[in-house]
Amino acid sequence: MAPRTRKSAASSSPATDTNGDAPPSLPPQDDTGAVVDVDALLAPAPGEEREEVKVNNASATDMKHACDDALKRYLSRPDLFKQIHTHTDVRLALGWLSVLVAGATGLYGWRVPFEQSKPGVWAGVIVYIILTVAQTLYAYFVEGDIVFVGKRKTFDKRIVTERITVTSRTTPSTPTSPPGYSLGLAYVRSAAGGKTLLGKGRAEEARPYTDFFDERGVMDQVRLERWIASIVSRVMDGKAQ
Amino acid sequence: MFADELKTLRRLGVRHVLLQVLNFTSVLASGLMIWKGLGLLTNTESPIVVVLSGSMEPAFYRGDLLFLTNPTDQRYQVGDITVYKIPGADIPIVHRVLETHDFVSKNKGLVAAAPVVDKQLLLTKGDNNHIDDIELYQGLEWLERKHIVGKVRGFLPYIGYVTIAMNDFPQLKYALLGGLGLLALVQRE
Repeated sequence: MAPRTRKSAASSSPATDTNGDAPPSLPPQDDTGAVVDVDALLAPAPGEEREEVKVNNASATDMKHACDDALKRYLSRPDLFKQIHTHTDVRLALGWLSVLVAGATGLYGWRVPFEQSKPGVWAGVIVYIILTVAQTLYAYFVEGDIVFVGKRKTFDKRIVTERITVTSRTTPSTPTSPPGYSLGLAYVRSAAGGKTLLGKGRAEEARPYTDFFDERGVMDQVRLERWIASIVSRVMDGKAQ
Repeated sequence: MFADELKTLRRLGVRHVLLQVLNFTSVLASGLMIWKGLGLLTNTESPIVVVLSGSMEPAFYRGDLLFLTNPTDQRYQVGDITVYKIPGADIPIVHRVLETHDFVSKNKGLVAAAPVVDKQLLLTKGDNNHIDDIELYQGLEWLERKHIVGKVRGFLPYIGYVTIAMNDFPQLKYALLGGLGLLALVQRE
């Protein structure tokens, strides 16, 4: 899209359209001096094939999951971030290990007569309890509300690593407002394997679910992506604090 | 009917499918571990049993749920309601203790380490039966402690009919399991 020239506030052409993703005339610069055209990177691809996403718009959980999935799909685009699956992998590993321990204990208790099997079954139950407690503590303290962790490496003069962590919550509805989707972003840009901090940014914003879902429950993915793009570009432009 | 869910699953990838299957299997695993843990705490291999026959009426009717424990520090006494299993019989039987014969250790000057170290022989009878259980012992004259699964501590009426129904109609069991599985696979927490 051609950059919009900014007219003075007094005159406004009736043909000005109000969509917000046209890049400003000057792309932002980071402190390495290179020009990073973040907004062009983040603009949703216009002709992209999208599957229709339809959820039950009475369930805030379903809507949150749909927004989270759209966010992950959007941020995992080839030229944007690469998702780091550590939290999911830890959860899967602990979970499947506990299921295997439970299965093995059950099988052992079934095959061996009760009195003989008691020490083995005690061991199995205790290991299972430890694994379940570990899973719960990890999910509560370490993972929390995080839905996406992404990394990006770019080369200009030196290897620049960017890392973004996205958390999302549902803000409860009040008598005057519908339930909302609250997104929190934490962004770090570093070089030389994480030793030099180039930039850091943090943002949090909430929008009601009614902005993204219509009365049938169909999600307006382009609108969601534009909103995410605006927050991400704001966060990525931040200088080192 | 499940086209939307299947489309979502295909789009979300392997990790997501693994997570959903984990949801289902971890429900089963936690149920199993709770059962085994309860068995260890009560010192019996089946802490909860269902009454199948009417031989203990009017105390217990068919379909009642019974809660058992097997205390190591107490002897069984006349009047206790026990569940026992004869080797060679498939189902355990719940009847009342009619007679007990306790053996006292012959070693003079030595004290038994626990009340249950000395052997105990038991004879049982169902409240609603006319004769005692000698016929059911399959050749044994007395029950020994090792045959006893546990002693009844409490009961809940009627709940056991769910288990009886699932045993008599296995399709019900598979339908329930299948329904639970489907629900766990497509629902996200």
